[in-house]
Amino acid sequence: MAEGTIDLSPYTTPLTLQDAYHLVRRATFHPSFSAASALVGKGAGQAVQQLLAVEPPVSLPSWANDPPALTQETGPPLWTELQQWWVGQTLQHSAALEVMVAMWHNHFTSDYLTVYASQWMVKQSMLLRTNAWNFKALGENIVGDPAMLRYLNGNQSIKGNPNENFAREWFELFALGIGNYTEFDIVEAARAFTGWRIVGKDSEYSRQLADLGNKTIFGQTGPWEYGDVIRLTLEQEACSRFIATRLIRTFVEFYPSAEAIDAVAAEIRANNYQLQPVLQKLLSSVYFYQTTVRGALIKSPLQLAVGLAAVTQTTNVHPLFVVRSMIDLTMTPFFPPTVEGWKGHHAWINSSTFPNRQRFGESYIDGRMAGTSTKLTTRDGADLVIDLVNVVRQLPDHDNAQAVVDHVCELLLPVQTSTEQKAVLLDIMMAGLPASYWDIDGPTANSRLRLLFQSIVRMPEYQLM
Amino acid sequence: MNRRRFLSTVGTTGVAVTALPTMIDNFAVKAIAGGGERLHRLMGGSDKILILIQLQGGNDGLNTVIPYTDQRYYDARPRIGISKQQALRLTDTLGLHPRLTGFRDLYEQGKMAVVQGVTYPNPDRSHFRGTDIWLTATDADVFGTSGWVGRYLDVLAPDFPSVLPPSPLAVQIGTSLSLGLLGPKGAMGVTFRDPDEFYRMVNSGGAIEEVPFADHGDTPAGREVRFMRDVARSADVYADVVKGAADKGATSGVAYPSTDIGGKLRVVSQLISGGLQTKVFLVSWANNNFDTHANQTSASDATVGNHANLLGELSDAVAAFMQDMKQLGLEDKVAGMTFSEFGRRVAENGSVGTDHGTSAPLFVFGSEVNGAVYGADPDLVNLDDRGDMLMQHDYRDVYAAVLLQWFAEPSSLASQILYHDFSSTALPLFKVPVSVHEDASRSSMIGFRSIAPNPAMSDVTVKVDIGPFADGGVDLRDLTGRLLGTAPVDAFSGTARFNVSSLTAGTYVLTLRSGSAATHTLLHVTR
Repeated sequence: MAEGTIDLSPYTTPLTLQDAYHLVRRATFHPSFSAASALVGKGAGQAVQQLLAVEPPVSLPSWANDPPALTQETGPPLWTELQQWWVGQTLQHSAALEVMVAMWHNHFTSDYLTVYASQWMVKQSMLLRTNAWNFKALGENIVGDPAMLRYLNGNQSIKGNPNENFAREWFELFALGIGNYTEFDIVEAARAFTGWRIVGKDSEYSRQLADLGNKTIFGQTGPWEYGDVIRLTLEQEACSRFIATRLIRTFVEFYPSAEAIDAVAAEIRANNYQLQPVLQKLLSSVYFYQTTVRGALIKSPLQLAVGLAAVTQTTNVHPLFVVRSMIDLTMTPFFPPTVEGWKGHHAWINSSTFPNRQRFGESYIDGRMAGTSTKLTTRDGADLVIDLVNVVRQLPDHDNAQAVVDHVCELLLPVQTSTEQKAVLLDIMMAGLPASYWDIDGPTANSRLRLLFQSIVRMPEYQLM
Repeated sequence: MNRRRFLSTVGTTGVAVTALPTMIDNFAVKAIAGGGERLHRLMGGSDKILILIQLQGGNDGLNTVIPYTDQRYYDARPRIGISKQQALRLTDTLGLHPRLTGFRDLYEQGKMAVVQGVTYPNPDRSHFRGTDIWLTATDADVFGTSGWVGRYLDVLAPDFPSVLPPSPLAVQIGTSLSLGLLGPKGAMGVTFRDPDEFYRMVNSGGAIEEVPFADHGDTPAGREVRFMRDVARSADVYADVVKGAADKGATSGVAYPSTDIGGKLRVVSQLISGGLQTKVFLVSWANNNFDTHANQTSASDATVGNHANLLGELSDAVAAFMQDMKQLGLEDKVAGMTFSEFGRRVAENGSVGTDHGTSAPLFVFGSEVNGAVYGADPDLVNLDDRGDMLMQHDYRDVYAAVLLQWFAEPSSLASQILYHDFSSTALPLFKVPVSVHEDASRSSMIGFRSIAPNPAMSDVTVKVDIGPFADGGVDLRDLTGRLLGTAPVDAFSGTARFNVSSLTAGTYVLTLRSGSAATHTLLHVTR
């Protein structure tokens, strides 16, 4: 969509509130007023540096280091805990790293039904976290990751009769994309990926079990082992373009031009697949702040649900409700529909999910689980208090009804709200009373704001970011 | 407090789709009158319904339709090969997987077509490219953005989405909407798991007024907002329609298996019997479990395991659905088709599974289907450089049959939908009803009674009614309109005879003439 040239040079204008909202919507899961306003007036480079530097603490589930839970009695009960563990992390910590981890979950996919033991799933999640900024390290470590070995049959791929599942997806979905390798490369890579087996919670590579014969991959012949395949793959320019596309789709726009992909790919190669400097440059570039990319992405259910908790200052909501909402909206954490992961963007929206998203938002603001009368609770089991008066009180000019509508629209929507829309929203909030009757300290303020927020979260624009 | 204001601002609803039979009749008259012009498939049948069943992950064709007399099959599959004794016998050389009992029964009733060796030139072994190619009906090197079904439905409803037909044109039972149902102007279908749930979801937000739609211009965000507005409108309108049909829908009392696919086909049945005028239903289940790289069968028994369970679920659900349709008197309205992005490698791998392959059989079923095996048995000698089977039929030969025969569309339209003209290779999968008459005064008097055999190999006997007229004759044409022969109708016996042994396999048109009246039907030639 982007026109012709792509300008990755630094965006030098100090950030406005709208710029800052745009940045925190894309770089974190917490696009709240407080997160954005803290960046206003800063240079883009400095603001981005601040977001990228956050290293959220992680506490592992109590069972994470137990032996793999592989029986029907021990395995499945942990799956919901596994989901809540990760989603809880995204609720509790606002950091670009959380967006990167979520991105990699949807890149190096695995699912708990195939992998079965949640211990392996946690281990994979931590692998993605630890190596989130280094694609080379991700590749080298994912090959022998126990969850991946189970998900794509690497543990059953044996010398002399290899299983092609991982090799094919490594090229097609993980590193290069279709058209950048041959069927023959898959055959040869599958041989080089042999030699792995799972031992307890971990895995083991044995050169005795690996096929050490000569292989020809991308025209280069040698006794390649798994690490060589990773190296040879990353030497392909297509690899940098593939990762560039993933980054741009996650952070900027879904339909990038070839120029945009090439420009970001060049940065990736220049940084030897270290991604933090690449993202630093991308998120502080003129390209990122141009108006055409604002609102150009459709939120994932994770972004929708955690984002709503963040803007309503209720990130203390019990992660169980976020997990359930995500499942309703077709994003079951740790259970992508295929090895390709969730396709994202348009694929999130259909005749079922759109009304379901509307119902989710509306119910959440009422403090209910969508489609039920179940009340939302905090992590501690107390009723979740959604204090919209307190949220709006932090916004400027909150004593003026029209200004409240304007600033809440700015908080919740990534595109301009039309005059007609704002007039209707003001009507809804005031429920027939003149705007001058607005009183943020009055007894009806919270219910008026509830109507305002509920109306906005039903709008198609709210699905954008 | 009228949330419907949202709808009223963006267009009218409930306007009927273009009357299809009229268009066909007009077209037919022109085509025949023009003589040398391209001739087209000429049938009514616009009330026909197609059920697409997607086997996600790449179904293993060789363990689905088993060449049980071919030793090479057993050599390539020492652990997972299904023995001759266990295969359900279809022909002297082919058997079905033992769990496909429902399919075997349909085959024995003449209601199941098995199309062998289906793929396309330069087959892709990627799940995602493969799936997209099947859904978009493009050549392997073309990246399509709309589905073949979506493009067809777009023709039926040219003013979509500003004018919505009274029923959703396509329905996917599930939670996502397939690329196959995307038309050039957006989603041509709706998706839901359950009619009641769909209705409740859409009608949950009744308390407040809907904020009016804003045009954000031709920006990425503006396009997304319009896209969502159209989806929302479809959902809003069709949730009521679908619920209405589901509430009206009868059940025959047939017990569906309590599987995911069983439940989905039960919903389809309920909606059809409730009068929903939907042309295409799409169902899939089990995620991508047909991707049987490992543990496809149990290590000790090739007839049990993951693949066996999937085929059993498929067969049992389809059997229940067809029985239900029959008992509801709707059997002749529905036809079903299975498809999968690719078949699997001939040789098993080291993990009791099979890797991605190429061509595979697919199934077309229904009472109006010409039940048979189409194509030769799998050729396990001449394989490609990966050890995969070569193509026998292009998947679009099957789609073309659906469009031309089942939906009775002219070949010009089928070519537009499929980007190439497949009418000469379309398989004769469907029985063809006689339909088009061109002279009202005589038309009620003339008609085809039977064509035997059909498909034919050499001699064909055509029985007709020509009433009191003694001037009848039958013309035989190919699908390009070229006249291949004419036979007089014996006035006493009402028969005309042809010998088709010199014709190549394919589909031909028979035209019964009497004075200025004419009527047409199809003749299939096999070799």
